[in-house]
Amino acid sequence: MIDASGVTHEYPDGTTAIRDVDLAIGAGERVAVVGANGSGKSTLHLVLGGLVDPTAGTVEYFGETSDAEAVRGRLGALLQNPEDYLFNTTVREDIEYGPAQLGMSQPDADARVESLAADLGLRDLLDRPPFRLSGGEKQRAAIASVLAFDPDVLLLDEPFGAVDARYRQRILELLTDHGGSVVVFTPSLEAVPDVADRVVVVGRDGSVVADGAVREVLTDRSLLRTHGLRPPATVRLFEGMVDPDELPLTVAEARRYLRDQVQ
Amino acid sequence: MTGVVGRSVESITGALRRAFAAERIAATDGFLQRRDPRITVCSIAGLALAVMLARSLAATLVVGGVTVALARASGVPVRRLLARSAVVPIASAVVVLPQAVLLPGDPLVRGFGLVVTDAGVAYVVAFTLRVGAGVALLSLIVMTTSFSAVVAALRELRVPVALAWVVAITYRYLFLLFDELQRLVLARNSRTAGRSTLRGGWRDARRIAGTFLLRTLDRGERVGRGMRARGGARPPSPYVRSEPLDGGDYALAGLAGLAVVGSVVIRWLP
Repeated sequence: MIDASGVTHEYPDGTTAIRDVDLAIGAGERVAVVGANGSGKSTLHLVLGGLVDPTAGTVEYFGETSDAEAVRGRLGALLQNPEDYLFNTTVREDIEYGPAQLGMSQPDADARVESLAADLGLRDLLDRPPFRLSGGEKQRAAIASVLAFDPDVLLLDEPFGAVDARYRQRILELLTDHGGSVVVFTPSLEAVPDVADRVVVVGRDGSVVADGAVREVLTDRSLLRTHGLRPPATVRLFEGMVDPDELPLTVAEARRYLRDQVQ
Repeated sequence: MTGVVGRSVESITGALRRAFAAERIAATDGFLQRRDPRITVCSIAGLALAVMLARSLAATLVVGGVTVALARASGVPVRRLLARSAVVPIASAVVVLPQAVLLPGDPLVRGFGLVVTDAGVAYVVAFTLRVGAGVALLSLIVMTTSFSAVVAALRELRVPVALAWVVAITYRYLFLLFDELQRLVLARNSRTAGRSTLRGGWRDARRIAGTFLLRTLDRGERVGRGMRARGGARPPSPYVRSEPLDGGDYALAGLAGLAVVGSVVIRWLP
């Protein structure tokens, strides 16, 4: 669906944020792009979302075109800071902005807004100005805004930042239900097993240093440490006590493992 | 907030919020709050137009009386409305004040080699009252109708979409940018020990202004990306929602229409 080849992006001040990245996102794939602060994840997100042009290399969308604007309705790129994403006068207008711009009919958009508002606890906030919301509410409104036009590929830059545990779970469920591809960019590995089947590690120099299955990457302590990342808490807790192939990656897996041991 | 910079930012931000965010009154029940925003915008604009066209003190006072009546019917404290509307007419009065001595007419007062004429005073008073009535009417819209409803009404009235969009985004980002400025000042204050001197305050103000400008440009770029990510590169195509009008809407529109016709009669018919 997205095929990046030899992509490099250098900012005007000479900083190379991403370097010679080859990355293909297939249909229905769940991918987490992880990396330390300053590794270039957000720049890679912008380049894949067609919001910043690479200074070298190409990005092809859906095997059809390298012009992101031509397929804008199929790409859902959520920016890291919801303040940059919410610019309408009410939350409702912000959620329906994408559908309106991308040609969804008004009744379909209304139904979508109602459904997402119910799912993300935004019903009472629909007529409020976005800038009057709390950080978590803004984040939920931004997520509703990107889900509203039902893109084929979701590119989400740190989507769980300010969201509380309850809505984080709800967002995970919505992402699971989403039929298309999901790419989550995050510096934290805790939620990775819940959202991804595949992990791409971006090194400090902006190049892709690993690309593999979730278990393979998250249990590779040396790889993660080298690139400024920390394995999930359950991996750190059970490391050395459990066979690497059985290391629990999530709390649910850890609970299951412990219950099995007790029984 | 402390220091010259902090107090200035706080007062500017406070004034901005008071000027634009009268959402509490807009959320209450009242005559104008119940009106269709399209009717409110057109009628208030019509009344303001009537004041400007008539150029008569009596017509201005009548529209002023209508404005006060509308404010009362909408639960807007008249004193607050007048306070909000006072700055612009006072500034206008200062600008046109020389007309009191420049316009020929019967002398009222002489002094310092100047002659204040009756025609000059009448002009200054009429002009100031006209501006005051117009500003009070605009304040009334802002205080009784949420800004998003006003923007939606502009779109429905076929005001060029791009213009309505610019108004909406300007409104949205005024708050955001002043929040940004407030955060910068708070960050500075949280690391400032003791009482700041005037000189130190201005030095910090220069630094903050530079950073604020860079942040503003950066945010503008990021917001542009946020818009493009959701089809913002295409021409704006918002959904339009229309509600059926009721008796109150027709009454207000009729009143405004009558005022415009009356002002045309006063101005152009013998």
